[in-house]
Amino acid sequence: MQKLKYERPYIKKLNTGMLNKFASANPAQAFDAIEGIPVKKLIEQYGSPLFVLSEKRIRHNYRAALRAFNTRYPKVQFAWSYKTNYLSTVCQIFHEEGSWAEVVSGFEYQKAVKNGVNGSHIIFNGPGKKREELLAAIENNSLIHIDHFDELYMLMELAASSSTKPRVAVRVNMDTGLYPQWDRFGFNYENGEAWNAISKIVQNNKMQLIGLHCHIGTYILDVAAYTKATTKMCGLAMRCAKDLNNPIEYLDMGGGFPSNNVLKGVHLQSADSIPSVDDFAEAITTTILNFGFEKDKLPLLILETGRALIDDAGYLLGTVIANKRLANGRRGTVLDFGVNTLFTSFWYDHQITPAQGTSTHTEPMTLYGPLCMNIDVIRENINLPVLDPGDHVVVHKAGAYNMTQWMQFITYRPAIVMIAESGETHLLRKAETLDYVDEMEQTPELTKSKAVEK
Amino acid sequence: MKNKIAYIIKAIINSYAILFFSQNKVLGVLLLAVSFFNPVAGASGLACILIALACADLSGYYRQDIEKGLFSFNALLFGIGFGTFYHTNTAFFVWLLIGCLVCIAITLSLYVLLIKRGLPMLSLPFVITFWIILAAAGSIFRLGLEQRSSSVMYELITAMNLNAHRFPFYIDLFFRSLSAMLFQNNAIVGLLIAVGLLIHSRIALSVALIGFVTACLFNRFTGVFPEGLSYYHLGSNLVIAAMAVGSFFLVPSYRSYLWAMVVVPLVILFIIAFTRLLGIYDLPVLSLPFCVATILLLYFFKSRQSAKTVLTPLQFYSPEVNLYQYLNSKERLPDYHYFNFKLPFMGSWKVSQGYNGAITHKSDWAEALDFVIEDDEHHTYKNNGTKPEDYYCFGKPVLACGDGVVVAVTDKIDDNEINNVNLKENWGNSIVIQHAVGLYSKASHLKRASVKVKVGDNVKQGDIIALCGSSGRSPEPHLHFQFQATPGIGSKTLRYPFAYFMSEHGNEKELKTYSIPAEGDSVSPVTINNLLKDAFNFQPGTAVTVTTTDGRTETFEIGIDYGNECYLHSKETNAYAYFVNNGTAFYFTTYYGSKQSLLYLFYQAAYKVVFACNGSYPVEDTFPLQLAKDPLRWLNDLASPFFRFIKLKYEAEVNISPVEIVFNSKQVRSVGMKDRRISDAQLWIGQEGIQRFAFNTGKHKIEVKWDIKNTY
Repeated sequence: MQKLKYERPYIKKLNTGMLNKFASANPAQAFDAIEGIPVKKLIEQYGSPLFVLSEKRIRHNYRAALRAFNTRYPKVQFAWSYKTNYLSTVCQIFHEEGSWAEVVSGFEYQKAVKNGVNGSHIIFNGPGKKREELLAAIENNSLIHIDHFDELYMLMELAASSSTKPRVAVRVNMDTGLYPQWDRFGFNYENGEAWNAISKIVQNNKMQLIGLHCHIGTYILDVAAYTKATTKMCGLAMRCAKDLNNPIEYLDMGGGFPSNNVLKGVHLQSADSIPSVDDFAEAITTTILNFGFEKDKLPLLILETGRALIDDAGYLLGTVIANKRLANGRRGTVLDFGVNTLFTSFWYDHQITPAQGTSTHTEPMTLYGPLCMNIDVIRENINLPVLDPGDHVVVHKAGAYNMTQWMQFITYRPAIVMIAESGETHLLRKAETLDYVDEMEQTPELTKSKAVEK
Repeated sequence: MKNKIAYIIKAIINSYAILFFSQNKVLGVLLLAVSFFNPVAGASGLACILIALACADLSGYYRQDIEKGLFSFNALLFGIGFGTFYHTNTAFFVWLLIGCLVCIAITLSLYVLLIKRGLPMLSLPFVITFWIILAAAGSIFRLGLEQRSSSVMYELITAMNLNAHRFPFYIDLFFRSLSAMLFQNNAIVGLLIAVGLLIHSRIALSVALIGFVTACLFNRFTGVFPEGLSYYHLGSNLVIAAMAVGSFFLVPSYRSYLWAMVVVPLVILFIIAFTRLLGIYDLPVLSLPFCVATILLLYFFKSRQSAKTVLTPLQFYSPEVNLYQYLNSKERLPDYHYFNFKLPFMGSWKVSQGYNGAITHKSDWAEALDFVIEDDEHHTYKNNGTKPEDYYCFGKPVLACGDGVVVAVTDKIDDNEINNVNLKENWGNSIVIQHAVGLYSKASHLKRASVKVKVGDNVKQGDIIALCGSSGRSPEPHLHFQFQATPGIGSKTLRYPFAYFMSEHGNEKELKTYSIPAEGDSVSPVTINNLLKDAFNFQPGTAVTVTTTDGRTETFEIGIDYGNECYLHSKETNAYAYFVNNGTAFYFTTYYGSKQSLLYLFYQAAYKVVFACNGSYPVEDTFPLQLAKDPLRWLNDLASPFFRFIKLKYEAEVNISPVEIVFNSKQVRSVGMKDRRISDAQLWIGQEGIQRFAFNTGKHKIEVKWDIKNTY
């Protein structure tokens, strides 16, 4: 018989709540393998902490989202939102599936070009495009989404001396019933700035206005917001065709679809309360289809969905460093990754599960990272079985934003691996080393002499 | 002026070539030359052609028909015959002119009379005219015509040969029989004609030989003519009848070859019968047996209700071209046979039950399709699939597969719980659309209260008519779709293809044209790329100027003919390229004219273009074989009625970006398993349509600029 694992004793306050007919379920079942590869083996091979991505899940998500839209609408195009995760392999998987690239900076633009994306399949968003970046985008026939008048004027100036007509779209923000209203991207719909910008572009005649874009928010839980946004966008497109004789080729509804992570501060959020991509697809496509476009003049529908396509394809594996008792008697557990690595823990209550078998007894605890910073809290309150130093944990749905927003701060950034559809594991990014961190640094003479003296 | 001369010369040469059902220049010129072996006959023949051409032209007949020599070859026969029989004197010229005019009048009258029934006049006008002259000349009244030699007429009806043999007997006889078409009895002339025939068509010459051999063997075994068949009857009646039936009016095949043999005894019978009947009036039968036998057979072929022996649908005056074009059209022109239907949904759906499916597609309702939506794991639902809403297809739009009128609708039947069926209202909510007389489509098991049309509504292809549901005999949501010949909701099914769709089987994705989705395949409609579609939207009344880099220019006019067929016409080279644009694809059907034309390059470069943008996949097609410039072509021609070993393939691929489309195509010759690229072409399309194209044969590279302009 195998020797049973030692579990230290613990004290738990007995809560006598309302009785119900369900037994208390163990919320923390061991999650010991990802796509059939044991967590333990992954950590042994690549170290801890470690980000793990599943190719199968990424492709599955993309195809499901595409299916949700293209079985409802004849012309659909996804554009991979680079900022969500711009690891080259990840981008290339999306491009292979048929996605265009949606970038928001010169750096991301260069990444997309390097990934082999045809210039005309790159959507250039973002409020901070520089002159030379715009020039490159014009030359490559990329889709430039204009954010403000100063950018518009700069483009007019560039277009005047360019042999190719820039292909542009206007970014529109609007009241969709959401609070707070996202009004910082593009031109406002209600106050007429959007129409003003549209008219200016069409009159200018040095640019082709081919699209309209909006980005109404992020992690939107209200389908009706998209119905409103789509209605307003279609209205603008129709006016462009009728009043300006400048038909719009595409409507870009931006991103904003939620993943099924749990937002902080949302009471009892469950998978049922999060609309699925299907629900958004239904709202957006029926609105366009019923708006009254001629059948062969329906605009192309572009979506820049990021989070919903990759969040649940990413995991963060970590290891318990220590346990401690806090002042109020609660247990605190220190993990080897902090908020600098799991950046999304600022707004998500991430699901975290132990990676090895445990007893059914759980204990409320706070999960801390290894940083010497008071803010380094991964979960303020979570019920987990007792964890011993050296035990592994798995953070779920960590695929979006973490691998781009993470910081090299106090610790190194960990390695990233991908489990391919074939079942093999591939290293996508090596764990950082001192040499890597120091690489960009210069050591001028002024400190050198003193250091030597000491 | 230059064009006019070219037109006259062409018409003259064709008037000769058409004697052997050809428009081959070499054969025409050869015949013209050998007709002058008898200078008087040759000259009077040529004179009669000129008169006939002038008359037809002044009477306002189609120049295209005049150019073929249709109205002048009878006059030619008359002229040659007249020049052969009579001495030249004043009366000769008078009666030649009068006879010629009579012949032309009969030609035009017979043409109008017979064309309505789709029958040819053959050499009937010549026969009638010649009888008139012969009868008149032999009367008691003085015409002043003097017969050259009595032996000429005698020779026509007996097997006698006045010349020495130049070749072994039967070969000599064969050549002389060919020369009989020009009222000569000269093996050398026949040899030259045979060479011309060979250049014109391998099939034609082989059928001529078959006719000749059959006739000789038939006579040998039956002994109808104890002294042997006369070279005149062999040539002017038997061989020519075999050629007409075996290689001209019928598409060459083993069947047409059999008919070429069958016609021989028929003609022999007519020769004997007519010789006796006409003997009463002292008239020769000339080529009457051939005319009567051929027209009789043709009329019989035309009046059949169904047949495997195919009449030449479009006459190209070359057995090879007729055959290759026929085979090619049969293979690739389904537009002429089928209504253009599109899949009744958006995105990729799986055929869960196909024709003759194991579950319910049986007996009268066997030819129906069930569609569902599947995910990567082949599940048709998410969550646990206990509610209709869990199923991917539930609530998805159902589209009209083609233009039509709604003739039946049910909309009030509840959707079933999963695994329940409603056997009482078997079909569930359904819509029947009439697309044409006797052609309906039906979608069933629709979602309750989702139907967006009512009886009498006109629907256009692609309109959303309802949502997919699970009403009727439907244990889980799916779309039942069928074509039918009657308007009922319970009507039996009709086998009918969808025009264009993408089909995915395992990892293989291909574009299907005019086929029926197979069970287990995932199918999706073709997404049209508007840039590509607009580039090939050639409107009649516009013209395109094309210019090569070395300055050659041609104008392509876009026109439409009386049969509603669209074409591009190169004004400079007078070449025509007919095309079809059905909204999903652009493709050429036939090409007529010079192979030097730039239009010919464009025809090959853009032979077939599908306006799809569902990703990159090749478009494949085949060229009609007459385009093959190939050392083995003649061998292939000889065998072609039975099998073809050369194939001329077309493969194209398109690279689409929102600003520019590059269309790559190539021509591949394939013999057996060996493929060789003959040429490749590229076509650049921008926002304003086609910009330029390049054609590369390996040796030559031509780049052509494309400028569209309106002419009217």
